[in-house]
Amino acid sequence: MLDDLRPPDQIRFLRRIRTALGHAPEVSREAKHLFAEGPTEEELLLLDRIRQREQAGRQALLERLFEAGKPINLRVTALPDGAYATAAIVRLVAEKEPEWGEAKRITAWRHPLIDRLNFPEALDRLQIPVHVAAPVPVDAGRSFDQAERERQRAEIIASFIGVTSADFCLADTATLVMRNRPGQPRSAALVPSIHIAVIHWDQILADMKELFALLRWDERYRPEGLSNYMSFISGPSKTADIEATMVNGAHGPREVHLFVLTE
Amino acid sequence: MSDISTEKYKEEARRGIANPVLQKALAGLQDRFGRGTAEAYRRLPEGPDLRLRAHEIRETAIAHLDTLLEILADKIRANGGYVYFAETAQAAVDYCLAVARRNNVRLVVKGKSMVSEEIGLNPVLEAAGIEVVETDLGEYIIQLAGETPSHIIAPAIHKNRHDIADLFVRKLGIRRTTDPPELTQAARKALREKFLAADMGTSGVNMACAETGHITTVSNEGNIRMATTMPRVHVALMGMERIVARLDEYEIILRLLCRGAAAQTMGTYASYIGGPRRPGESDGPDEFHLVVIDNGRSRIMADPQFREMLCCVRCAACLNVCPVYGKIGGHSYGFAYSGPVGAVVTPLLTGINRAKDLCCGETLCGACKDACSMNIDLPRMLLALREKLAYGDADWQVEPASRAESLAYRGWSWLIRYRRLYELGLKFAAAGQKLLPQEKGMLRRLPPPVQGWTRSRDLHPLAEETFMQRWRRTRKR
Repeated sequence: MLDDLRPPDQIRFLRRIRTALGHAPEVSREAKHLFAEGPTEEELLLLDRIRQREQAGRQALLERLFEAGKPINLRVTALPDGAYATAAIVRLVAEKEPEWGEAKRITAWRHPLIDRLNFPEALDRLQIPVHVAAPVPVDAGRSFDQAERERQRAEIIASFIGVTSADFCLADTATLVMRNRPGQPRSAALVPSIHIAVIHWDQILADMKELFALLRWDERYRPEGLSNYMSFISGPSKTADIEATMVNGAHGPREVHLFVLTE
Repeated sequence: MSDISTEKYKEEARRGIANPVLQKALAGLQDRFGRGTAEAYRRLPEGPDLRLRAHEIRETAIAHLDTLLEILADKIRANGGYVYFAETAQAAVDYCLAVARRNNVRLVVKGKSMVSEEIGLNPVLEAAGIEVVETDLGEYIIQLAGETPSHIIAPAIHKNRHDIADLFVRKLGIRRTTDPPELTQAARKALREKFLAADMGTSGVNMACAETGHITTVSNEGNIRMATTMPRVHVALMGMERIVARLDEYEIILRLLCRGAAAQTMGTYASYIGGPRRPGESDGPDEFHLVVIDNGRSRIMADPQFREMLCCVRCAACLNVCPVYGKIGGHSYGFAYSGPVGAVVTPLLTGINRAKDLCCGETLCGACKDACSMNIDLPRMLLALREKLAYGDADWQVEPASRAESLAYRGWSWLIRYRRLYELGLKFAAAGQKLLPQEKGMLRRLPPPVQGWTRSRDLHPLAEETFMQRWRRTRKR
């Protein structure tokens, strides 16, 4: 139908598929029935369950998260409020040694929950610089844009710890879910040797089913959808490619610490 | 096209069986993953039958593949990505090379992708003066050694820590160590430099979702996340069948994929990629290209006997239970795909005659079907391939594999229609077998041209008395 607007490689390719399937090669086929107009019964139940989740439900999910984190070396700590998280971050920064260089540098997301922790101030006293990621100005011209991105990239590469939040955390598999946004670079949870994530416990969901029900049908999340790059992170990077021996820290972070605020 | 050496199956298999390092590694791998995966399926809330549902999902997607691919392409383009549909391996490789040239790419970091092995991407980029670095640790090891992967998920399974230590001393100039964490650290350091310097990253696609317009990559190491985040350009290579319609369907496939591949409930990293970096974001590639590859798949699709093979997600669970793969190892299969999946897909992609030993080498024991995360009936398709090899097939341009064998069966079918002649033949054979070497009442060796039958097993001799003789004798009483 819209064939004339599409590139020739695609037109030829899809015609070949239609022929292979035994359909008329020229005609695009209707596919509405493959997709959903609205949530299923099961998804409505999931959405209700998420909305109605209270203290006891959250506590249960937190327990599941602890359990799921253990076998994959994700270190989960529940903390009563932000002040504890700040102290815990400062302690980690002081204890841990950089993997690649001498100097200790940190990168943190620009994110309401992270901003509130105010740890750059505490680290300033230890003379440890914190780079807070910032949105790249959109209309400041191409060369500025390039220079700014390179500056932030260099900061992240020089950091031995990256502090981020997450959009959700899936209790069953101890999975952090992050959607890409300006000021919240995904490389902050990838390039530094240690990744620290801080979330609030109402961000914990049971599993992928709950997550996808929210992303598909909840009006708060549906417009942003999966963003252009959604990451699932379940524990530190690992490999077993040498004689099937499990080693943490293949390319991504060697350690992942998750602080859950239960305030 | 990449190197295909399916003709050397028997030779390579013999070599694999004689290699003690490989035997030990394969036994360990199958012991762990084979059992672990079965256990992981049992622990699913829906039980192992979830694989049946997954099979339905995949079949529906394949039946509507044209529409789903169109929707995916439209969404990725709307998000600022490029989509190219490559009919052949050559077209796919040419496109990648053109993207690399246009962006002045000097260094490419590769996330593990079997389809890139299938289309032979590395040699073409290298011939154009571009450095290509495999970044999955196993793939990196075999690239340094100048070899090919021998398992879909554990590519360097055939190498032990001593081999790897020697290799790293020679290629990376490190102090010799056989400690896996230290060896991993050495590779981590070398590859980090590559990731940060690379201009282009490539990856495969584990599964795409039409509804959201995303492709997904899954890894434990984080190399694919690096390759799709740090370089300026990301090119994703996708076998055309790797798509489902909806996110809830995708959820089922991902859970089964992780269990089939490594008995995990979830891989460490799963990335959902819908396009390049957006305005305001500081990281991610400037350009995102998706290359959708046919390379013989539409031909598989056109044959109802083999269409089911397109449901495969290349999790490699079948390798981890196959008694044949478990002995001969991945190199025997002579192409990107090894094990039971390779025994079906390689003949279909590279030529059934050419890869005939692959499908004839499997045992039809059915272990692969039980292990398959998508519940694909591999034994059925192995038989279908053998049928084509026995009788020939015009659609697939298959020549009957053995004139001598079909002649022998035709002779046999003629002989058994003539009672007297048949009994005469039996008498000759019964007399003749006395001349053959025997031990403990078994024939040890048959004469040419059927000596192969007794190369590794003994044969029962013909009974003193035939069934018919016995029948006549006992009825008289």
